[in-house]
Amino acid sequence: MLFGRNKKNPIKIADKGVVEWKYTTCGYCSTGCSIEVGLDKKGDAVTSRGVADADVNRGKLCLKGIFEHELFKSAGRGRVPLMRKKRFDEFKEASWDEALDKTASEIKRIQEKYGRDSFAIVSTGQIMTEEFYTLGKLARGVIGTNNYDGNTTLCMSSAASGYKRSFGSDGPPGCYDDFEHTDCLLAIGSNLPEQHPVIYYRLKAAMEKKKFPLIVVDPRVTMLAQMADIHLPVTPGTDVVLLNSLAHVIIKEGLEDRAYMEAHTSDIESFEKLVAEYDPESASRICGIDADMIRHVARTYAKAGAAMTIWTMGINQSMHGSDGVVGINNLNLITGNIGKPGGTSLSITGQCNAMGTREWSSCSGLPGYRALENAEHRKEIAEFWNVDEEFFPKERGLFMTDIFPAIETGQIKGLWIIATNPMTSMTNTARMRKIMEKLDFLVVQDAYEDVETNEYSHVYFPAAVWAEKEGCFTNTERRVNLTRNVVEPFRESKPDFWIFNEMAKRFDHSVTFPENTEGAFNEMRELSKGRMLDYSGLTYDKIEEKRGIQWPFSEDAEEGSPRLYTDGEFQHADQKAKLIPLPFVDDNERPCDDYPFWLNSGRVVEHFHTRTRTGKVGNLNKFSPTPYMEMNPDAAKKLGVEHGSYARLTTRRGDAVVMVQTTQRVSPNMVFVPFHFHECVNRLALGLLDPHSRQPAFKQCAVKIEPIVNQGAAAVRNKAARAY
Amino acid sequence: MFKVREKEPDYAFIPNVDSPELNQYGKSIDLIKECEDLAGKSLNINGDSSIGENPNRYKQHGFYFNADNCISCHACESACSEKNDLPPHLAYRAVGYVEGGTYPNYTRLNISMACNHCDDPVCLKGCPTRAYTKFAEYGAVLQDPDICFGCGYCTWVCPYNAPQLDMTKGHVHKCNMCVDRLEVGLKPACVAACLGSALDFGVIETTPENRDQLETSIPGFPSPDITNPNIRFEQTKTLPREMTRTDSMPLRYEQDEQGRLGENSFHTKVHETGKSKEWNLAKLRSREDPLVVFTLISQGVIGAFLMMFLSSTFGPMLGFTELSIEYYPIAFPITLFALLGLETFALALSTMHLGKPHRFYRAFNNLKYSPVSREVASIAVFFNLFAAYTVLTVFSGLFTWLPTGWLQSLQTIMGWGAVVAGPVALYFMHSIYRIKARPFWNHWQVLSSFYGSMFSLGAVIVLIAFGSVAVFEGQSILPLINYVALPLLAGLVIEGFGLVRHRSDLKKNGGEGAASYYEQITTFGKTYLLRNALLFAGIVIVTLLMLLQAEGAVALMLWVIAILTIVSAAYIGRALFYVLVIPTTMPGAFFWRNKGFQEHARETGLADMPQVGVLPDIH
Repeated sequence: MLFGRNKKNPIKIADKGVVEWKYTTCGYCSTGCSIEVGLDKKGDAVTSRGVADADVNRGKLCLKGIFEHELFKSAGRGRVPLMRKKRFDEFKEASWDEALDKTASEIKRIQEKYGRDSFAIVSTGQIMTEEFYTLGKLARGVIGTNNYDGNTTLCMSSAASGYKRSFGSDGPPGCYDDFEHTDCLLAIGSNLPEQHPVIYYRLKAAMEKKKFPLIVVDPRVTMLAQMADIHLPVTPGTDVVLLNSLAHVIIKEGLEDRAYMEAHTSDIESFEKLVAEYDPESASRICGIDADMIRHVARTYAKAGAAMTIWTMGINQSMHGSDGVVGINNLNLITGNIGKPGGTSLSITGQCNAMGTREWSSCSGLPGYRALENAEHRKEIAEFWNVDEEFFPKERGLFMTDIFPAIETGQIKGLWIIATNPMTSMTNTARMRKIMEKLDFLVVQDAYEDVETNEYSHVYFPAAVWAEKEGCFTNTERRVNLTRNVVEPFRESKPDFWIFNEMAKRFDHSVTFPENTEGAFNEMRELSKGRMLDYSGLTYDKIEEKRGIQWPFSEDAEEGSPRLYTDGEFQHADQKAKLIPLPFVDDNERPCDDYPFWLNSGRVVEHFHTRTRTGKVGNLNKFSPTPYMEMNPDAAKKLGVEHGSYARLTTRRGDAVVMVQTTQRVSPNMVFVPFHFHECVNRLALGLLDPHSRQPAFKQCAVKIEPIVNQGAAAVRNKAARAY
Repeated sequence: MFKVREKEPDYAFIPNVDSPELNQYGKSIDLIKECEDLAGKSLNINGDSSIGENPNRYKQHGFYFNADNCISCHACESACSEKNDLPPHLAYRAVGYVEGGTYPNYTRLNISMACNHCDDPVCLKGCPTRAYTKFAEYGAVLQDPDICFGCGYCTWVCPYNAPQLDMTKGHVHKCNMCVDRLEVGLKPACVAACLGSALDFGVIETTPENRDQLETSIPGFPSPDITNPNIRFEQTKTLPREMTRTDSMPLRYEQDEQGRLGENSFHTKVHETGKSKEWNLAKLRSREDPLVVFTLISQGVIGAFLMMFLSSTFGPMLGFTELSIEYYPIAFPITLFALLGLETFALALSTMHLGKPHRFYRAFNNLKYSPVSREVASIAVFFNLFAAYTVLTVFSGLFTWLPTGWLQSLQTIMGWGAVVAGPVALYFMHSIYRIKARPFWNHWQVLSSFYGSMFSLGAVIVLIAFGSVAVFEGQSILPLINYVALPLLAGLVIEGFGLVRHRSDLKKNGGEGAASYYEQITTFGKTYLLRNALLFAGIVIVTLLMLLQAEGAVALMLWVIAILTIVSAAYIGRALFYVLVIPTTMPGAFFWRNKGFQEHARETGLADMPQVGVLPDIH
């Protein structure tokens, strides 16, 4: 000691007594971090740490992953199945047999009475790929409803749609390793430090090694925008104009990769004709970025040896979401930046297994990136599953965002919701309440019985969460990674896989359902042979050993595939990528005299989606325990709205009360509200649907702001909406 | 020994690089240079007696923070809380921020801060129980919760809000530098978790790879002069000239005219937000309520004793006999005992205010450094001398067996001893508040207030005790008043003079002190005015009554009013003293470490949900 005590007690440092580590993949976002969960002598999960040699996260985790082991015993978990006759009755505890029997009989009753498609299934991006595959088999091959979709319509639908339109197939062509090779990175509507902190870590590490220009397009001064070399504070909903104008400059100044375009793209002429209309001067008046800056960015991007674009919800959650993705693909196709190290269009995905559902759930088609519209695909799957080919519809049914309006008008009478919470996540909460009331039968399958959607259910299935089960997720860069079963499911909750298999037993069919997830995985491998989405070489043990493997990975492959389309061959019939002209039509709700502010929404780092998980982990939730909005202090002053007080937001749909955080991070005519909170921003949002992806434009509508005189009453109202 | 896992990435290991001999404060980085026998000892982590093999084990280590890079992802805080198994309501490391500029040229500067394991650890020096040790190993300043009795004084003196008083456990705990990881060459958990290339760690004064600066300060960071903290910064990006805080502290940071980069170029100023004058009487309550009562009673008791003892001793010489045991053979002894009782109550209150009252005896452990230890010790000396004097005086009949003259001498010795010990104790009591990290307190006004209260409240006690007897017995209270009115007035005037000077110095010196003053005239504006008015009214009424030598029912009524006025002014003033202080601490975030939100969560019941991270009740 230098000073202090001569006689010292032993130093006490918390020791969690870990005796065993088990391998998992994080169940929050789609970065795909490998996590080891530490178990103590009693077998309790007591700690989490990033796997040291996992290529994705290299020993790191974000705060959500750091506390992920706390999920197993968190508040609000579903303990036993619950049932009730009417949604306003009290729930009664039930056995699994009772709950499953009741649900199966209700599905059959509704389908018999109103037709097969009158029962809808809305799933998620949160469960394992094997579970998605099994659910798809159940929905398409056994129950036989075409109104089956996932909540990925709220997050990645535009990306999937844009990839399909440009390249002929879904599947992000790039990877995180591209950060190490790129010479210019354009991030549009993606705030990595907040949404995907570990991907930001990879980006930052690459920039520390070799500096390259970082250009960020975002109406808000996010942390990424602050770190950027160039920040373009674009007018909300006008990314397509900016992208068209960048293409305009590149083509006009002859900076394009003409050889690549001619070899690997089609429809060049109509594309060039369209972008010719988007000169920087005209574009600047729409997108709010001055003409010189547009030229500067276009030249920087086109002249870089390899350039890449990443995007997230800033592009996807827009009326022009799919077009935005296509616009990004256009930009990279004309500069020859697809399928090469450091040159790519990389959508940064939201949910841990949004990719898995796109690949295998049969939501938008059939497993393995197959389409219902394709007769050959129908035949292949019908044979493999042993169902009548004619049982499959010949085109996809309703998207999630169209299923709810179909309930509103009575075409759909029954609904099965799996691991998603539309009462918080869908726009126009008031309309959603009316819709949910109309259901004859709603079954909610979720790890949390306090999930707000359960308010409207007749049957509740308590599901196991994350590593209470075993299976795979696919991350943003197509990496299939494994979660080992770490602990037994909480109380009587069951893995989603078990629930689907049990449900299948209650229907007459000729389909086999493997006993365990590895069995289902083997079916997927079989179905993927020879396709771009090739899983055939993957096994659980190999995945764990390699800490995740990027598909395509054929049986004879040694290493995963970091990139797609390296040979310039795309999935359209002519093996070319399409350059698609993107005329811009602006019919979004815009600020006006009555509703003078843009309303923007988004994620904060400490929360995930509707907070059913993170809202109960104190060490996460404490960073934003109650809804708030960012508002420009100058605008607040004019309205008499004070920092730290509650204010009322009103749109043409409804109102909400939030706490005000004044900051110059947002412009004087915009407010930003995190989307995680129940009875908050989605009471306000309009969410016009993208014509291609049916994804709602969560991020753009017009709002009015008023100070609240009775702050006490506002606090009471705010607290009343918070069960957690 | 901490187990290093296989394939641990390179970034997690502390690089073994050369360091200079002296740090920027001129102190040796080698910690065993002058005392080599400190080497080779086990840290006994969780009872493990092995010794780490870190080659730089005896060099001062410290955190390195690249403020340009921090993205406020909370990974550091979370890794720390996870490793140390901390509940949501407290954290060893916290990220706050300051922000400035105008959209879209906006800058948010995030600051992640834990313990800085200072060269001059004020926590260690301030701790009365000696729960802190600065180790020769890594220069880590570690605190032992098993020694701590939960007074929270270290949380007052630390400028970085590093020690955390855990109200649910009744003791303090804090960052342990992850010495278990250091022993095997690993960086602390927070550093290994950093996602933004912002936080680093190593031997102090060594610049990490890819970094250029070794600054000792950034905007929002308290002056390194206070504790010589072992943290170094890089901050190279141009900042807006003015940075503000998002938490409720009315502070902003303004760059000096030269617009220099680097340390000390930003000055702490008051962030005036046009708040209105309020009462906020409910907010006057705080965890320190027992100290309001304890300090006021102790000061009053010492003052009353002084007056009683001095009048007994010198009264006859001056022809004043109306305040002595001879004149009040019953009231005088009863009052002495009442004062003893009152002081016992006050001491009990201050003891119960500890997180672990049963460890109260540890208060004397750090007489060498801690003003708390000195205060407790000197109050104890006063209390014992005063008690002895009281017993000898009141029960003199019991001591007839003593040789002639001894009783008299003992009485005199004890009495005079207490007369000296009392004011000395109050001096030490005032030293407790002379904290550099708390500019509102760090002013001689604390002393003038404490001595002022000693006179005024002492006089009030004497007036109440003996005046009421005089009135009851139908005697004139004028002689008594003529004896106590001067010290009473003097006390009030000293207090008032101190307050006036305090006010002007706070405004002049700026910074957190001026921010406290801003809170005083806004959040508590009406309460503050009331206190001032009461103090002034007390002075006027007492002066008038004394000058007029008034007697009778009206005068009596006015005396009662004067006493109520004086006592209320003292109570409100002391309560304000505790709630107004704004430490030179790190900026908080909008919810986390924001005093304003914590108060709001408690008021509205949000705090009842444990995952909100605010303890529901702090009283």
